[in-house]
Amino acid sequence: MDRVVDIADIKVTKDPRSTLITYSLGSCIGVAIWDPVNHVGGMLHYMLPESSISPDKAKANPAMFADTGIPTLFRSVYKIGAQKNNLVVKVAGGSHLLDDNGMFNIGKRNYVTLRKLFWKNKIMIDAEQVGGSISRTIRLNVGTGRFTIHSRGQETEL
Amino acid sequence: MNTAKDIIECVGSIQPLPDTALKLMNVMSDPKSKLEDIVGTIKYDQAVTSEVLKLCNSAFFGMSREVTSLEDALKCLGTAKVLQMVMSVHTNNMLGREQHGYGLDPGVLWKHSVAVALASSQFAQKLRLADTNLAFTAGLLHDIGKTILNEHVADEFVEIVRIVTDERIAFVEAERRVLGYSHEEVGAMMAEKWKLPESIVRCIRYHHAPSDLETHDPLVDAVYLANCVCLLLGIGLGEDGLCSRADAEVLERHSLRESDLEFIGAQTVVELQRVQAMFGDTPNSEQVDS
Repeated sequence: MDRVVDIADIKVTKDPRSTLITYSLGSCIGVAIWDPVNHVGGMLHYMLPESSISPDKAKANPAMFADTGIPTLFRSVYKIGAQKNNLVVKVAGGSHLLDDNGMFNIGKRNYVTLRKLFWKNKIMIDAEQVGGSISRTIRLNVGTGRFTIHSRGQETEL
Repeated sequence: MNTAKDIIECVGSIQPLPDTALKLMNVMSDPKSKLEDIVGTIKYDQAVTSEVLKLCNSAFFGMSREVTSLEDALKCLGTAKVLQMVMSVHTNNMLGREQHGYGLDPGVLWKHSVAVALASSQFAQKLRLADTNLAFTAGLLHDIGKTILNEHVADEFVEIVRIVTDERIAFVEAERRVLGYSHEEVGAMMAEKWKLPESIVRCIRYHHAPSDLETHDPLVDAVYLANCVCLLLGIGLGEDGLCSRADAEVLERHSLRESDLEFIGAQTVVELQRVQAMFGDTPNSEQVDS
């Protein structure tokens, strides 16, 4: 069963029959985490790096920003039984426009904020595909942990 | 087959815009027009009036009593909201269809267009332009050319993508090279045929290259920035992805910073979710399932 993670949204589940899916990542980043021992999966689709841009919006929806969305994702999977040491972490998105001056750099800043947070919390990324100027749709099969990226009519497994 | 000639023929045979939409756009683009002119334009179109009343009375607005007239709707929701509703309803039919050439499922181009419309009116406000409603409409129609170019892009998709990838040029430039016309040019021709105000035609024609205009136009800049933000946030992205040029000059012209783009992007997503809820396409709010 497909469960759609909208833009600025988090979904977590321990139903092994479900596939978490988020469509059309541009400069946004999709984070998929999976605990193969406890069969828990979670996915976040955040838009922007830092919540300081609009604390009200972060309060109403923490999934909008990296610095509020990532901690919420991890807390949500722990709450339903995942354990930090088991987690397999995969990341995709962070695309950019054809930008010679780097003035529209949301994608890169989204990725840098994620790396900083992961570094601070000792979280390793198992696989990632970031950057470029493509749109990506990602899927995590919660039963098997299979993580795929769909872009320009082609599917890649990470 | 002569692709360029074929495209021109398609533009020649497009359906006319509904009369109300056309009149509204003309009223909106005239800085001298008053509220009464706007009401006067919609009031005699029964189909639009009943659609507006239906939307006003939908669960989304949670009105404590039934809204029964157009005047009542304008009073309760404000003119801007009602106008935006009318324009969105009118374009749903045309922009709501699947555009397979661009890899856009049914409803996706309309969603992108509404998001760009919402962001355009915010940028117009930020740039202190007098008319945010005009910016909304220009944003809503910016990609209208895709509805005609779609079939041709589908036929030449492999070649267009090859050029985009090999030469690192924008998708819109590759369209022009392979098909003879880009979706900007086709959209502008459609808007001219509909006799839309010149300001809207200009926004459609230059929404990927606002600095190509000899005299820069802040309304075009607003629509350009709105489109960039919506592409970055992946709202209604097709297979053309983010292969569009970032033009730093536009930001410099208006002393805008990246944080302005981010703030308007966040606001756009919140507003878009409201509009989708109004049209009955509710984003799934449930978060945890154990």
